[in-house]
Amino acid sequence: MIEVIHPGLYSSIQDSGRFGQQFLGVPISGAMDQIAMHWANSLLNNPKDSAVLEMCFRGPKLLFHQSTAIALAGAHMNATLNGVKVQNLNAIEIKENDILEFGNASKGTRTYMAVAGGIQSPEILGSRSQFKGITTDSRLNKFKLIPFAKVSFVPKKGARLSIPKLDLKNFKITVYKGPDYDLLPFEAQNQLTKSVFTISPKNSRMAYFLEQKLIHEIPFLWTTPVLPGTVQCTPDGTLMILMRDAQTTGGYPRVLQVSDEGLNLLAQKSTRDSFQFHLRAV
Amino acid sequence: MNKKLPFRFFTTHPRVVILEWDRKPDNTLLNQLIDFQKHILRRFKEVTQITQGYVSLMLFHNTEVHHIADYSKKLYLIFESLPTKAVKKGRLWQIPVCYDNSFALDLKALALKLNLSPEALVELHTSASYQVYFIGFLPGFLYLGGLPKVLEHPRKIKPSPHVPQGSVGIGGKQTGIYPFDSPGGWYVIGKTPYPLFEPQKKKPCFAQTGDSIQFVPISKSEFMELDRQKKNGSLKLKPS
Repeated sequence: MIEVIHPGLYSSIQDSGRFGQQFLGVPISGAMDQIAMHWANSLLNNPKDSAVLEMCFRGPKLLFHQSTAIALAGAHMNATLNGVKVQNLNAIEIKENDILEFGNASKGTRTYMAVAGGIQSPEILGSRSQFKGITTDSRLNKFKLIPFAKVSFVPKKGARLSIPKLDLKNFKITVYKGPDYDLLPFEAQNQLTKSVFTISPKNSRMAYFLEQKLIHEIPFLWTTPVLPGTVQCTPDGTLMILMRDAQTTGGYPRVLQVSDEGLNLLAQKSTRDSFQFHLRAV
Repeated sequence: MNKKLPFRFFTTHPRVVILEWDRKPDNTLLNQLIDFQKHILRRFKEVTQITQGYVSLMLFHNTEVHHIADYSKKLYLIFESLPTKAVKKGRLWQIPVCYDNSFALDLKALALKLNLSPEALVELHTSASYQVYFIGFLPGFLYLGGLPKVLEHPRKIKPSPHVPQGSVGIGGKQTGIYPFDSPGGWYVIGKTPYPLFEPQKKKPCFAQTGDSIQFVPISKSEFMELDRQKKNGSLKLKPS
């Protein structure tokens, strides 16, 4: 078990998501940055979508009741093990009563912690991803215990994963046309594909609202299915990118659809970060 | 766009296709969409799930979709071969609702706006039968069609920050039940003790697309009794 001494700002257990229940209105959920989750798991020889801990902005303080191994990937969070700095992207040996503490995120927004054998919280409707109304807790809470599998994994000394560095300043999000893209006037299409957009403070696992508005006159739509990555535009022109915890249906025009890679990139972005959409044919 | 095609076809993501009909939702289309989904899932093994809107379907594939012209043509042919008459009627669910003032926080206000007595409003709400068009928005939230025209009223200008689970509301042309505590802009006219979504169950939601719903008025003491049954796990709703 891992005891949560302090939960951090917003930490939750996530995996590849709860796929197959969307026809009942259940969001897909899952790790916001699926690639970082895969990296953390692969360092421990876990199946790549084993449940991990997702930490946002400021990470938790954790006490390990048993020995195991962990690996971190994604944003840097100044993690210390019993007060000694530990690095992302390598397997870290954990002993009974070790304390792992995280600080503030830099070089990204979300950090992932994999545990050897995977986190073993109850699987509900095919996933361990926490979501309000589905799992008992919707996020990590103080004093909770996180169960993990007992597997013997001895980290190899010096083994590290080297991965390409994320360019966080100048980045493009690959998108495809949404079903309503062609209903937009030429100027609005131009704005979407050529101008710079900024993420507003209203951003969460459900959706990122953008600062810039898009002028359009798309008429009323009947509520339709949507999915993570769908970019919707409200009548007043507000753009919102649906993220992993997005609702399954929506009534606003769907102007773009973010690619899988684009969604993983956006997971590491937050308030005031800017980016451009890069339109690609499917 | 070719006008002769029965629906529009979009690949919005390498593994996702959206089909959209340029018409108003009605029972005929609803039955066709239900039928169509069964045929698609049987015929195309790469389609792992289909979600539904009022006049649209979203097809999820476990592999990238190629040969789009060929694929869309196959789908058109299947759709056009479907019978337009309803083959099978869905089940009917009678959902107990308590319209007592202690739960019906906006009943008086809405009745006043609609120029009805609260009793007449409840009478109208419980005499209609509602069609489940699809389930979406939140887990177990039923999109219902069939609200009597006299009960239509725009949503509240200022949404309530906290609407309790089980609340029954009216907003716009819709009526529905909040499956969880959530903010909401509908006028709350009652509450059901029946759980809309039970994640621990194999079938977490009792209703499915195409079923019908009726609201049956119950007293506050009946509500309390059913709520007690819910808490000890013995409350069960059966289709009639």
